Amino acid sequence: MSLIHIQNLTKHFKILNRREGLSGAFRDLFSGNYRTVEAVAGISFDIEAGEIVGYIGPNGAGKSTTIKMMTGILKPTGGVIQVNSLAPYDNRIRQAQIMGVVFGQRTQLWWDLPVIESFKILKEIYKVDQKMFDRHMDMFNELVGLKTLYSQQVRTLSLGQRMLCDITASFLHNPQVVFLDEPTIGLDISVKAKIRSLIKGLNREHNTTIILTTHDLGDVEALCQRIIIIDKGKILYDGDIKRVNALFGAYRTLKLQIDNFTESTLQQLKRSLTDCFGMKHGITIAETEEFWTDVTIDQARTPLSDVLSLVMNNFPVIDVRILEISMENVVQKVYDGALG
Amino acid sequence: MRAYIPVARATYMIGLVYRFGFLFNILGNLVYLGVAYYLWKSIYRYSDTIRGLTFNETFIYVALGSAIFILLKTYADWIMHFEIREGAIATYLTKPIDYQIYALFANFGAMLMNLTAITVPTALVMLFVFKVHFPSGLGLVLFPISLLLAFLISFSIDYFVGLFAFYSESVWGLSITKEIIVTVFSGALIPLPFFPDAMQRVLLWLPFQAIYHTPLMMITRPNQGLDIFLSMILVQLIWAILLFLLARLFYNQAIKVLRIAGG
Repeated sequence: MSLIHIQNLTKHFKILNRREGLSGAFRDLFSGNYRTVEAVAGISFDIEAGEIVGYIGPNGAGKSTTIKMMTGILKPTGGVIQVNSLAPYDNRIRQAQIMGVVFGQRTQLWWDLPVIESFKILKEIYKVDQKMFDRHMDMFNELVGLKTLYSQQVRTLSLGQRMLCDITASFLHNPQVVFLDEPTIGLDISVKAKIRSLIKGLNREHNTTIILTTHDLGDVEALCQRIIIIDKGKILYDGDIKRVNALFGAYRTLKLQIDNFTESTLQQLKRSLTDCFGMKHGITIAETEEFWTDVTIDQARTPLSDVLSLVMNNFPVIDVRILEISMENVVQKVYDGALG
Repeated sequence: MRAYIPVARATYMIGLVYRFGFLFNILGNLVYLGVAYYLWKSIYRYSDTIRGLTFNETFIYVALGSAIFILLKTYADWIMHFEIREGAIATYLTKPIDYQIYALFANFGAMLMNLTAITVPTALVMLFVFKVHFPSGLGLVLFPISLLLAFLISFSIDYFVGLFAFYSESVWGLSITKEIIVTVFSGALIPLPFFPDAMQRVLLWLPFQAIYHTPLMMITRPNQGLDIFLSMILVQLIWAILLFLLARLFYNQAIKVLRIAGG
């Protein structure tokens, strides 16, 4: 039996259709006009003990809703969900004992108190005995040097320090599964690296299952063997990271700002790329925001540097940016059948 | 139950962390005490008793009443309003704790803080500065029990109002309404004996008087019979249990509509 078993899971929300303006707001007071939103529309997967699974998708895909059903906060509308053979919502207090949760946007620590106090409170809440507490605190100290932060008030920590504390705190009671919801949101590269190595270390220590939702594909690349991509409440892909990695690892987006850009410039750009690299060049062009043209390049087929020099030599380029492929692009590629 | 004690301890500590807030609380209450003393002194200039209460009794009622008012005011509804609306409640729901009991202990810690910062200094100032004579009697012994039950009732009312945050974007109006009802009908603003007799009889059946009137009576009129005090405590106990269970039932309904978007 797998640790987490999900089958045909659905979650619907009833949302009041709000009308415009002040008079609309008044009429809404007595309105029974609801619409149903399918946040999760029938998903199934199994997760084994010890796995680190990346659960990714664009904003509003249903990631957080799934996490909240797995942690027992929300009651599913339909389908089966079992963590360690029990339904999380109906056994919330019991299930909470074997889970750790970090919501990147908020903290579980006591804002006004020194860091160590939060750990002491959590020790009692989870009924962690002194021996295990000491052992875990030593381990956390080894992994991230937690001791130096003990006496600091939580609200005076930097976002990165707070996140390190929040993540270690969620491992204090040696849970079987830890849910990390956007643990690297808003952090800079060096702190992200630190968080990633911490998560890896904690997973290794007790073979803890970790489910990670993130917007940063770098997190997934660094941590997960398996990846589940969800969009509009449905699973698009569930499998080995390597195939997806090949997909987004090879792609780069070249953002161009071209002087006097018009529709004909776009046609010209398309034509010259086809002329130069042939029909199967693996390049897509889109105008995403004002003044910027996105050229997404499959580096396996066409080297980025070739495209760049072609564009620079033939067009009046004002500004250039090179981006790694975004979550939205990956999802789009999967839709387009890239993994098919 | 052991799991919740550190929670009460934590909220108590938060009161101490903000030292200036702590000191100004004490100071502000002392100013109020002085104002109340001279106000009622002038009201009592032309008669020794008003509606059967002497100056001494009224001053104890009003001064201690305000100290107890601050003591028992939990702000649970405001805190819950933010926790539910901002989604912070998710961090409690993912812990092996009962939200109602968690909230109870968190507020209990804050109550103990107020006891240290407000109630005890007030009583000391009344004793040694204004030389108030506290009558002695059986009521004084039962006062702490009565106070604890009053806290439970006050908490349950606030918690009940706070649960409306699951349904409504804002409980502001509801909280204000509750505040006014509790302040007036509990005898916190004006001593209950000053109300018309018919109204007094109605008010004695409501839970609000059990918050302030009951414990205050035990201090101002402590030498009444045991049977009178026991029936007062019994009424408090019934309200405390009833409201706690009612709030629990309401929670079980309200939690079903929980909807936390994002993060």
